Amino acid sequence: MNTPTAYNEAVRRHFADPQHTGDLQEDYEQTLVADVSESLSGAHIVMSAGIRGGTIARMAYRVRGCPHLIAALELVCTTLQGQPLARLENFDSADITQELSIPAEKTGRILLLEDALATLWAQYASTED
Amino acid sequence: MSRTAVYLDFAATTPIDPRVADAMQSCLAPGGTFANPASIHIAGRESAAAVEKARQHLADLFGADPRCLIWTSGATESDNLAIMGAASFRAHRGKHLITMPTEHKAVTDTFAHLEKSGYEVTWLEPDAEGLVAIDELESHFRDDTQLVSIMHVNNETGVIQDIQRIGEICRARDILFHTDAAQSAGKLPLDLGELPIDLLSLTAHKFYGPQGIGALYIADRPGCRVLPIMHGGGQERRLRPGSLPVHQIVGAGTAAEIARHEMSNDLAHAATLRDRLWQGIETVPDISRNGNAEHAYAGILNVSVQGVEGESLMLGLEPVCAASGSACNSTSGESSYVLRSLGRDDALAQSAIRFSFGRTTTKDEIDVAIERYHWAVDHLRSIAPSDRLVS
Repeated sequence: MNTPTAYNEAVRRHFADPQHTGDLQEDYEQTLVADVSESLSGAHIVMSAGIRGGTIARMAYRVRGCPHLIAALELVCTTLQGQPLARLENFDSADITQELSIPAEKTGRILLLEDALATLWAQYASTED
Repeated sequence: MSRTAVYLDFAATTPIDPRVADAMQSCLAPGGTFANPASIHIAGRESAAAVEKARQHLADLFGADPRCLIWTSGATESDNLAIMGAASFRAHRGKHLITMPTEHKAVTDTFAHLEKSGYEVTWLEPDAEGLVAIDELESHFRDDTQLVSIMHVNNETGVIQDIQRIGEICRARDILFHTDAAQSAGKLPLDLGELPIDLLSLTAHKFYGPQGIGALYIADRPGCRVLPIMHGGGQERRLRPGSLPVHQIVGAGTAAEIARHEMSNDLAHAATLRDRLWQGIETVPDISRNGNAEHAYAGILNVSVQGVEGESLMLGLEPVCAASGSACNSTSGESSYVLRSLGRDDALAQSAIRFSFGRTTTKDEIDVAIERYHWAVDHLRSIAPSDRLVS
């Protein structure tokens, strides 16, 4: 059996009281949904973005994963809401990794989050073609 | 440890019994029993007497001859010495060895090392509840089989193997039988005067003694010997060189003496706590116990639950201190190899929590664990994708 890594206060706060979990309820001009998973760690993300006027009006997610991944999703949603859609493309998680003190061995989980965002962007781009 | 922590990780290590701490302090205090027991002066002889008194206490716990006990740094070293030492001693007779993939890493990694060194190892799979099938074990015996190593109580599931029967069939074929008793020594009755065990590993910190001290039992019978794996001194029958840590040995001996008198009470207490905990959480949907519930040490309860990730479950359980089946710090991300050997899939193994309790655990602490487990599972399921299982 193993011992969990330490978590900073931000991780603990987001883990205990997440604000962006669930599904998008309102009608948006466009609702993007990404469903990504990684079998080895068992991590699974379903992420939604409600688009209105070229802006990310609202983001939500469902997740099964470690506390760092839950906290990272919270920060991503907070960061991207109200931002132009283009922010989804090539999102850099470095700031989030630093803010949450995510250990190097968790890089794979964060890459899964980046995959979810890339999937949202690809979905949007495909509808624009 | 934080005052708010609810410590339910006794299988990892136990708190030192205050009586043990007092005995150790008597060695460490000014004028205490500190001298090197290998020295022939008065102070050295006092230390040697303390060491032998502790050895006698340990022998009394197991109904063993104290001359059969070798002090080591703990169960890991004992396992290494037993397995490598016995394999080396018997190498001229044959190089076939048998163990199980559900053993502690101290055993599996040692066998893996021997495999690379020219030995042939049969890895005997357990059944879905963690038990070894005796007839299957016997079917793997060969003329060149020299050693079987099967643990007494599994450190993750608490499953108890039938070491009496295993020992009997090994002895009938003159095969050495080693058992890692790290989780059972001082907790379950072990009469080495009756049990057909050749080599037994133990560590003091699992039964309220200090960390860093353990022992290896080597039966006094023909053909049962180990060769040293370390060199540099004549201590411990030349099998384990190095100056003996007197205060730790005195602590181990005191812990053994206490365990001998309090074992039955400890066991009954653990059974009460285990039943209370299981009754409190068995209503959680899709929860399951890992390991055979009937042949299990009462101080361990290992449960898995579907649709919940283990590391998050651990954080949700705080302030409860338990052990997780997920490999939170591992770069591999692999879940418990023990539970996967029992046929659990990755997701179930990841969600496993091992609760273990002991002499100082209270019913109130169990109730906190029950409340936190329900909260954590509910919380994590409320934020999870609807299809809980990922293929």
